[in-house]
Amino acid sequence: MLSSVNPSVKAMTILIPGVLLAFMFDIFTPLAYLIFTVAMTFILSDIPVKRYLAIFSPFIIVALGFSWMTMLYTSDRFAGGEIVFSFLWFDITEGAIITAVSLGIRSLCIVALSLMFVLTTDSTKFMLSLMQQAKLPPKLTFGILAGYRFLPTFRHEFEVLRQAHRIRGVGRAKGIRGRIRQFRRYSIPLMANAIRKAERVAIAMESKGFTGSTGRTHYHEMKVGRKDWMFFSAFVTAFFAVVFASYLFGYLNIFGYQF
Amino acid sequence: MSNRLTEFKEMLNSWKLKEIVLMSLLGVVFAVIYLMFYFFGMGLTNVLTPFGLAPFGYEIIFGIWFIVSIVAAYIIRKPGAALVSETIAATVQVLLGSPAGPRLIISGIIQGLGAEVAFAATRWKNYTLSVLVLAGVSAAVFSFVWGWFISGFAALSPGLVVAMFIVRCLSGALLAGLLGKYVSDQLANTGVLRGYALGKERQNKREKKSA
Repeated sequence: MLSSVNPSVKAMTILIPGVLLAFMFDIFTPLAYLIFTVAMTFILSDIPVKRYLAIFSPFIIVALGFSWMTMLYTSDRFAGGEIVFSFLWFDITEGAIITAVSLGIRSLCIVALSLMFVLTTDSTKFMLSLMQQAKLPPKLTFGILAGYRFLPTFRHEFEVLRQAHRIRGVGRAKGIRGRIRQFRRYSIPLMANAIRKAERVAIAMESKGFTGSTGRTHYHEMKVGRKDWMFFSAFVTAFFAVVFASYLFGYLNIFGYQF
Repeated sequence: MSNRLTEFKEMLNSWKLKEIVLMSLLGVVFAVIYLMFYFFGMGLTNVLTPFGLAPFGYEIIFGIWFIVSIVAAYIIRKPGAALVSETIAATVQVLLGSPAGPRLIISGIIQGLGAEVAFAATRWKNYTLSVLVLAGVSAAVFSFVWGWFISGFAALSPGLVVAMFIVRCLSGALLAGLLGKYVSDQLANTGVLRGYALGKERQNKREKKSA
């Protein structure tokens, strides 16, 4: 079901809680919304749990790293409460722990929202929808799609370059300096080829009558329907419901101010 | 808002199609590089975590995320190149499946604006090294303000935030400004940029020399 939601609406839906979460500095709000997001992802799509966990778990480590640093270097405004434990010369307070855990869970919540979008959205449909719903100029849309289409060919070109180097007797790079030189040896020709392609594509598009005017018809018509708005309102309503619940339980903390 | 939108469209109309396609392609190529650095930064972060300095893993390499602005503006030299190319790179990262998700597009717009402001200050006429470096720093400042809000730096002690800010600005100057100019000049040396502003400028210089 998630993959059939209009991509622009889906992106908007994820953006709103994604930005508003930045105001919340308590544990309850991001945690509740994280649980809601993950639950909805599995209910509304058929992503295998194993695959999801494989993608999601590295971010837990990153979140722990960020939490750990926040705990050590909490600003005075957030580091209230009793000292819970000491580490080297750092005194970790209750407030510091709450803030750190909150920021960690918040980043996981953003990852969960993003994965819900990324794992269920077709990239071509997203671009077409940006053009038809978000009024992105066709010149840009088709330029990006053409560039995107070239990505798989880079791997092939890379292989060709490597073989060409090998035939000339260029060995493997040693040391950091050699690595950098090797990177340059590959990246500049790859990009030069890409630029040549861009020029050719532009000529091809113009020769086929592409003017970039917005008054054009579309082969794939992207529409926004009732289902899309239901999806949108469900996620935004859930966010405000979570914030309200957090307020009722006395957890809500916006930029350090307890409510 | 709609006024701005028509202005934006007029600006795009002054562009040649091949410049737009080049900018899009640069956006796509650098999106791949950005995504590789995202995971590289994750590795750096894990190394620095035991010292409690995790986010510096990203701060050190943050400049790389502004490089397409500098490259596109330096090659094409038209208003909007820095902003639009960075936005494209962010959008393509979402297409490729970046874990940062659609919010990345906002970050891209803000970083691109940061670089664009520096070029706008010279009325899009000056593309010397110092302006390019300034554009990298300006993008770093813009992105830091956004990061302060979105990543909750408010909860960090001011000393650490200032240190992160300085590292990010330096990274923007070096990895975006300096490296961006270097990469573009290398590309111009291959001769593929003859049809664009940077290549034409080189040709003019060469002709003057021989004349």
